[in-house]
Amino acid sequence: MRKLWAIVKRELVAYFSSPLAYVVLTAFLFVNGFVFWLIVAYLNDPRTRAMAPLRLLFGGTMYFWLLLLFVVPVITMRLLAEERRTGTLELLLTAPVTEGQVVLGKFLAAWLFYLFLWLPTLAYVAILASYATIDPGPVAAGYLGIALLGLLFASVGVFTSSLARNQIVAAIFAFAALVVIFSVGLVENLVINPALKNALSYMNLWDHMDDFAKGLVDTRRLVYPVSVAGLFLFFAVKALEAVKGR
Amino acid sequence: MIEVQQLTKRYFDREVVKSVSFFVPEGEVLGFLGPNGAGKTTTMRMICAYLPPTSGTVKVAGVDLAEDPLAVRERIGYLPENVALYPEMRVEEFLRFRAAIEGVSRKDVPERLSYVLERCMLTDVRRQLIGTLSKGYRQRVGLAAALIHKPPVLILDEPTVGLDPRQIVKIRELIVELGRDHTVILSTHILPEVEQVCQRVLIIDDGRIVADGTPDALRTGFSELSAVTVELEGADAAAEELFSRIAGVEKVESLGQGRWQLAVRDGKAVRREVFRLAVERNWVLTELSQSVPSLEDVFLRLTTREEATLEAEEVQHA
Repeated sequence: MRKLWAIVKRELVAYFSSPLAYVVLTAFLFVNGFVFWLIVAYLNDPRTRAMAPLRLLFGGTMYFWLLLLFVVPVITMRLLAEERRTGTLELLLTAPVTEGQVVLGKFLAAWLFYLFLWLPTLAYVAILASYATIDPGPVAAGYLGIALLGLLFASVGVFTSSLARNQIVAAIFAFAALVVIFSVGLVENLVINPALKNALSYMNLWDHMDDFAKGLVDTRRLVYPVSVAGLFLFFAVKALEAVKGR
Repeated sequence: MIEVQQLTKRYFDREVVKSVSFFVPEGEVLGFLGPNGAGKTTTMRMICAYLPPTSGTVKVAGVDLAEDPLAVRERIGYLPENVALYPEMRVEEFLRFRAAIEGVSRKDVPERLSYVLERCMLTDVRRQLIGTLSKGYRQRVGLAAALIHKPPVLILDEPTVGLDPRQIVKIRELIVELGRDHTVILSTHILPEVEQVCQRVLIIDDGRIVADGTPDALRTGFSELSAVTVELEGADAAAEELFSRIAGVEKVESLGQGRWQLAVRDGKAVRREVFRLAVERNWVLTELSQSVPSLEDVFLRLTTREEATLEAEEVQHA
């Protein structure tokens, strides 16, 4: 446990001592701030029907997904690729830690950094709360959905980072994989076969976020991201075992 | 302390390490010698539980690698070749990180930290970013990281590569000191280093051990490489012919001005015969000396391969 935490801590230090963290943070806040402004402006128009603004912010617009599809690969691309490129992996894996601990530690660090990115958005909640009454349930559920989505996205990024020696390659792989994972559920609406439709709805991440943003916490929506994350982390461990020393 | 038996590593159809066996008793400093690409690093990485062996067994301090690789890692301090560190970390911060993942208990960390900082002469730079340190300092940080958990075994892969001569001397002195309370395997291709630092030498070539012994034993074992130099006054042209007839002389080479060099198998018998000849022929013997082969001669004899294959392998590695 202490070894795992040491790896997480080192990775977090690495995030905040590179300019990348601040660039990502700035870009993320800029885009989110813009989207928030758009949503508020849109809802202020008397012709639009009333809607919870946070429901739109949390996955209700394409901006949310575009941002995540770009940002998560950038957060995760360095994790294992850089260790392999510079050769620090050898030193790390001759210490008494397992490949599993290394993968999990790096994954947790990436996920914590991802959560940190969302932290300033609490200000939007505070701003809205000062003008209107806000139902805390859906807000909490929305953040839960974001955290779960982070597990899924970050695990894919960790996996592609274990395959490539080049960070950019790792990021592009992660982006491609995430686009597929995100889009596959959207096909739901085009399918007629009920069994397939059912399976696809299970994988529909747009609905996943929408449910959470409505305040609906469904077990299926908890199980899917967690199990996919587990699967990709397992792949990452296997990939790391296979590629080390090459 | 370290027991390696029939250790083999195969990549697809290429065998990089071929059934290597050796034993290192506690407290020994073993030099691992071989040309580039001989399989030194691969062997060390297998002992350190980094690369899984294709076959064979390794035991470190009584622990079997196949049964408990993590326990083996705990018992080894490893300094890889071209030691790579995290440039964004400070020296002390990095060593604390290493202490944590090596499993040093929290209360022992301050003591171990000050010990390795002092031992590796890093106290002045403890607050500095690793990325700003010179190669010599980084090497010492790597060594400090290898020592932080008080491992009984140290494995150092070419610890002096890329250092300037003064840094090399310092690191060597440090290794000799560390050899007093650690069992050490040290790989290198610098021959004087082995003679200064190691009690025993393994020469590995093309994945096989080709020699094993103390530096002295290796030299005497290859006494066929020794040479006798003779200088005579008043010798006639027949001398060269007579020398070549002495039993044990393999080759006679004239150095000019009444000097010859004889490649010999048994130096003492040959010198006796040369003296007898001189007396018989009334030559004045002004020099009769025997040179012992250097470790370099032994090394070159054992590891000489066709240049072409070596170059081809280097291309492959690149």
